[in-house]
Amino acid sequence: MRRILEINGEETPIWLASTGQTHVLHLGEREIPCSFDPATGKGSYTLEIDGARIPLRVAVGEESTFVHLNGRAYEIGRTDPSQTLGETGGGLAQDQMVAPMPGVVVSVDVAAGDTVTEGQTLLVIESMKLETTIAAPRDGVVAEVPFATGDSFGGKEILLSLVPLEEAE
Amino acid sequence: MSISKLLVANRGEIAARVLRTARAIGIKTAVLRHPAEVDTPAHAIADEVLTINGPTPVAAYLDIEQITQVATRIGADAVHPGYGFLAENAAFVKALDAAGIIFVGPTEDVIDLMGDKIRARNFVEERGFPVAPSAIEDDNPADFVERARAVGYPLLIKPSAGGGGKGMHIVREDSQLETGIETARREGERYFGDGRLFVERYIEDPRHIEVQVMGDGQGNVVHFWERECSIQRRFQKILEETPSPALSPEQRDEICESAAGIARAVNYRGAGTVEFIYAADGGFYFLEMNTRLQVEHPVTEMVTGFDLVAEQLRIAAGEELGLQQGDIGQTGHSIELRICAEDSDADFRPAIGDILLMDEPTGPGVRVDSGILDGGSVTTDFDPMLSKLIVHGRNRNEAIARARRAAQDYVILGVTTNLGYLDAILAHPKFQSGDISTGFLAEEADALKHEPDAATQDILMAATALSDATLVQAVENVPEIYRMMGAWRN
Repeated sequence: MRRILEINGEETPIWLASTGQTHVLHLGEREIPCSFDPATGKGSYTLEIDGARIPLRVAVGEESTFVHLNGRAYEIGRTDPSQTLGETGGGLAQDQMVAPMPGVVVSVDVAAGDTVTEGQTLLVIESMKLETTIAAPRDGVVAEVPFATGDSFGGKEILLSLVPLEEAE
Repeated sequence: MSISKLLVANRGEIAARVLRTARAIGIKTAVLRHPAEVDTPAHAIADEVLTINGPTPVAAYLDIEQITQVATRIGADAVHPGYGFLAENAAFVKALDAAGIIFVGPTEDVIDLMGDKIRARNFVEERGFPVAPSAIEDDNPADFVERARAVGYPLLIKPSAGGGGKGMHIVREDSQLETGIETARREGERYFGDGRLFVERYIEDPRHIEVQVMGDGQGNVVHFWERECSIQRRFQKILEETPSPALSPEQRDEICESAAGIARAVNYRGAGTVEFIYAADGGFYFLEMNTRLQVEHPVTEMVTGFDLVAEQLRIAAGEELGLQQGDIGQTGHSIELRICAEDSDADFRPAIGDILLMDEPTGPGVRVDSGILDGGSVTTDFDPMLSKLIVHGRNRNEAIARARRAAQDYVILGVTTNLGYLDAILAHPKFQSGDISTGFLAEEADALKHEPDAATQDILMAATALSDATLVQAVENVPEIYRMMGAWRN
């Protein structure tokens, strides 16, 4: 299973495997055996990596993991790449296309007020050097397109919203 | 006159700090709460918590009528305003006065005088205390240029109606003076609709040094020595210390005596702070007087041993100061760090989030004045300052070492804070040698940035992956045969 981790704005795809005895973190070409055990104190763990035993404090948030290491706190962003692009922002109406990770808008094919049909291309974005087409999840009317071609967006930002069904005629 | 019940008209760390002292000396306590606020330490300390309402939490804390009504209703005989909000609001003092409630602070007149920067400056100058040379156009527009020239270079031109640095121009030589005045006037008209100007001597690489004073309104005033607050970002202090490493014993006496003299001139009552600009050549100039307890008052408490809030409450109850200057010593060195929810690497942008894990440092000479609880959350409703870490050591080096150790031990996870940035300041060689000015953080911005190295990034990614329950569970659910494949696939 994969994750995309973000530290200081830099994204790294990782995946985790297991040998049965220990875990192996795959970082690009590298494979790093590591293990992780609870220690005394709230959120305290010992990470064993490259033969070293490192004490740290960890708190897992919804979208980020926070680590206190060597007297300093770090925030590591977590994204599940299997989460589909253009997933709904909550609710069944599929009103909002939410960016799962930061990227750039390559093209915008519709404008606010346009009537769209299911499957129609709304915009094209690029994230992690990968171009993705965001298509309309249902028939509807475009409510807002907050970004223009060339704009950058952050993870979890709303890329486009449709007029909610109950408000539409 | 005595105080038996105190309402603290504030929140966060300062409310908790005032409540602790009040409770310790046997006063019943009450504090406020807006419905949008999470639990804070103050709510756990106070005997009573009273709900106040308003369109925003800040508006509620600024609502003079509502807060005065609450104080009356619960039978409080005094109100402590903390700092910020209504702490320097003469109308609030008046409203409490009308309700027969003691305001823990100075009189309405003194708040008014010191709140008007031009009046305060003139008052101080007329009594013979040092102010930066300046010229105000309004005094006589006809000879403004001549008077500006007489101030001497370098000088700073400011719009009279200005604020936030807009329309300010530094002029270093006479040939630039008239064009500088014209530019500033155009900008003043554009930004503030008011082209009137004033100029003052520009102090290069200034330090910010202030003096704690206390008076009883009955003619007695003492000072509690100085604090240096030159470490500022966005014109706001984030690290303060005492004694100032810049002052010789003679200069220290001179600046502290000037501050006490200014307080004496207004027959000051309560705790106050006189702020000065300190120039590289040793000259110092009155900047302003804050008529309240300051955020950074704990460093003064650490080196003098006094509880300044206890002194405030004693004076508010009508007691005499009862202290001579010789009773107040300065022992060792103290540093305060302001822990703020902000991203120091992204232009100090305020951060929000839930406090998922918190662990405060302890040990000899370590004090934490906190406004947050583990499990609480940080919103944009209030100032980003979460807590203050204050240390005391026998000398400056020991205080720096203790501050670094405590900052590194202070765990706050779930919201971005400036703890790592504050530690980087303490570690900077120029800070350690005391070579600082109000421009220090801007000049050393690159040196204070922190990027985790490759080995650290590996550790962070491993910890993130292995604490990700979904990820670990998915890996462990893989059938044995695939797990073995995973080991030799690459």
